[in-house]
Amino acid sequence: MNGIKLLLLGCLAALLVAAACTTPQATGDVDILYTKGTGPMPTLLATKQIDGYIAWQPFVEVAPVAHIGKVITYSGDLPPDDRWKNHPCCVLAARTDLMARNPGLVDALSAATILSTRYITDHPEESAEIVADWLAGKGNFTYGNVTVSSVDVLNRAFPTVKFVNEPTEQWMAGQVEFIYALRELKALTGSLANSSETESRALLFDTGPYGRATTMIEGGSITMPPVEEKPVGIGYLLSDHDASLFVAVKKWQYFNDTYGLALRPLDPKATRPDTVDLLVNGVKVAELKLIPGDAGPQLMQLAATNTVQFAYVGNPPVISAVDKGTPVKILMALNTEGSGVVVVTDAPATDWDSFVRWAKERSAAGKPVRMAAPGKGSIQDVMLRYALEESGLSIREVQA
Amino acid sequence: MRRSLGLILPVLLLVGWEVAAAVIDNPFILPSMATVIPVLLHPAEDILGTGSLLYNAFVSLTRVAFGFLVAVSIAVPLGIGMGWSRTLDAFLDTTIQLLRPIPPLAWGPLAIAWFAVGIYSMGFIIFLGAFFPVLLNTIDGVKGLKRTWVEVAQTLGASERQVLGKVVLPGAAPTIWTGFRVGFGVAWMCVVAAEWLPGTTSGLGYLTLYAYNFGQMNIIIAGMITIGVIGIVFDFLFRSVEDRFFRWRGLER
Repeated sequence: MNGIKLLLLGCLAALLVAAACTTPQATGDVDILYTKGTGPMPTLLATKQIDGYIAWQPFVEVAPVAHIGKVITYSGDLPPDDRWKNHPCCVLAARTDLMARNPGLVDALSAATILSTRYITDHPEESAEIVADWLAGKGNFTYGNVTVSSVDVLNRAFPTVKFVNEPTEQWMAGQVEFIYALRELKALTGSLANSSETESRALLFDTGPYGRATTMIEGGSITMPPVEEKPVGIGYLLSDHDASLFVAVKKWQYFNDTYGLALRPLDPKATRPDTVDLLVNGVKVAELKLIPGDAGPQLMQLAATNTVQFAYVGNPPVISAVDKGTPVKILMALNTEGSGVVVVTDAPATDWDSFVRWAKERSAAGKPVRMAAPGKGSIQDVMLRYALEESGLSIREVQA
Repeated sequence: MRRSLGLILPVLLLVGWEVAAAVIDNPFILPSMATVIPVLLHPAEDILGTGSLLYNAFVSLTRVAFGFLVAVSIAVPLGIGMGWSRTLDAFLDTTIQLLRPIPPLAWGPLAIAWFAVGIYSMGFIIFLGAFFPVLLNTIDGVKGLKRTWVEVAQTLGASERQVLGKVVLPGAAPTIWTGFRVGFGVAWMCVVAAEWLPGTTSGLGYLTLYAYNFGQMNIIIAGMITIGVIGIVFDFLFRSVEDRFFRWRGLER
């Protein structure tokens, strides 16, 4: 059975070589393993079940810190040249029914997020510490025999994430690229399966809240929205990409005193507060329930059932949700870049080019390099696919 | 004497683990207990901002107690009914056998949609774990009653209500209690699945999942050990009650 497979593969390879004489073709394979998140990646790497992985921060930094791997490139530098500079990553999304019913509330939360992002840009070290507190109570991470402070890990990770909110033209074009990528993966079957670029943009974005929020901030006063009677759910990811939410809550006193807009935690001593009040000019306008999720698709399921009305989440899950008819729209960016590629310590690769050479040698030797990605169609998966294809490598999904 | 015999294997396993960990020398495959024991020795210390082992164990226990009590309050009356009435048994049995093999974890997405994030959806998962063992044992307990007991009571003029309350329920109690013991064990097992539901922020299951998100093997193992220890403590409590009140089961012949 395996012999037949090999024979077929051999024929296929021969055909590919023949075809390569006329058109540029893939000259090797890379195996991809989907690990449903980043948790298993360090273990898989340390037990040689994978040769490397692509992940979001701070899991990129975990490999060098735990002496199990090295970073060969951060996501903004993946090929083709400049293709992934400032690539979209996490976004703020909201349910359209809430946006229609209480636009002022959406504007206020948008403004709080923008102000927090500005604070992060001005105070990166303090913000990294806040994130370490939120994610790990500033405790230690233990990987194998190595125990490191979460604050150190976050401080390493922070400079590789760009915290920006503005929904620029380039950023929106980048998002639309993800629609095309997800179509190629046959992940879109609904409203975004065949939509034109203009239709896609109309379905995906509403940048109105961003515009009104910045106007309020520049004008120096936040408009009071009508008070929400019922709690509003906010889903988020346990990632430094969502730092703007964590900083907004932990530094609520500062934002309250400076801008009259704050997310005050009910229990100020809690490491990860789950209930916060949205204060505008000292008045509570809504109670917010903060709900952490392991991955974006899970948060989008909560949005679909109206359990959460906002989500701080990666863009592909929002695209998939919009495609399936979930009434959500993307309001603004939370960060760009912030992912990276890691390989085992003893791999003969130090940058992308040497990685590609290594991958081609291994493929020719019949032992393709095996990489892990958090999930099919995730930002990291899409970028790795594009970069490998650009470098003449094709992807084989590991079947199990 | 018999109890100390049971302790030999766990100690041997622990020693074997440490030896194997030293031989394999890859902490990602087999982490040394040296990283796990400190976590267990400080059960009141905060872990990754998720609260202490003690706090999370308490939270998990209250959730299991909730799901378990709901399961008992439905499964016992239903089980007595099904054990007593052939018609009811025939009517419900197929449905119950159909639902029983579905793992509680598989209900997760629906639990969230129906009962919303929080104690009710978690309670539902735990409820499912406890419900079937309690129900089946109750049915068995009632069906396995000595017919002569019931017939004697009926001949002496007891009403159906009296028969159920004074003969059936006490007679089936030992088997029902076994159902409680098994049911609580399964419910405790399900707490991990329940606490893996989105929106959870506490509990031993959540703590292990949270540690998994960051690849923290030592905390995962410490959490597993804690879950095991609490499980054995409760099993012991259920057994003690069994020994104290239901010893007559083996003696009545």
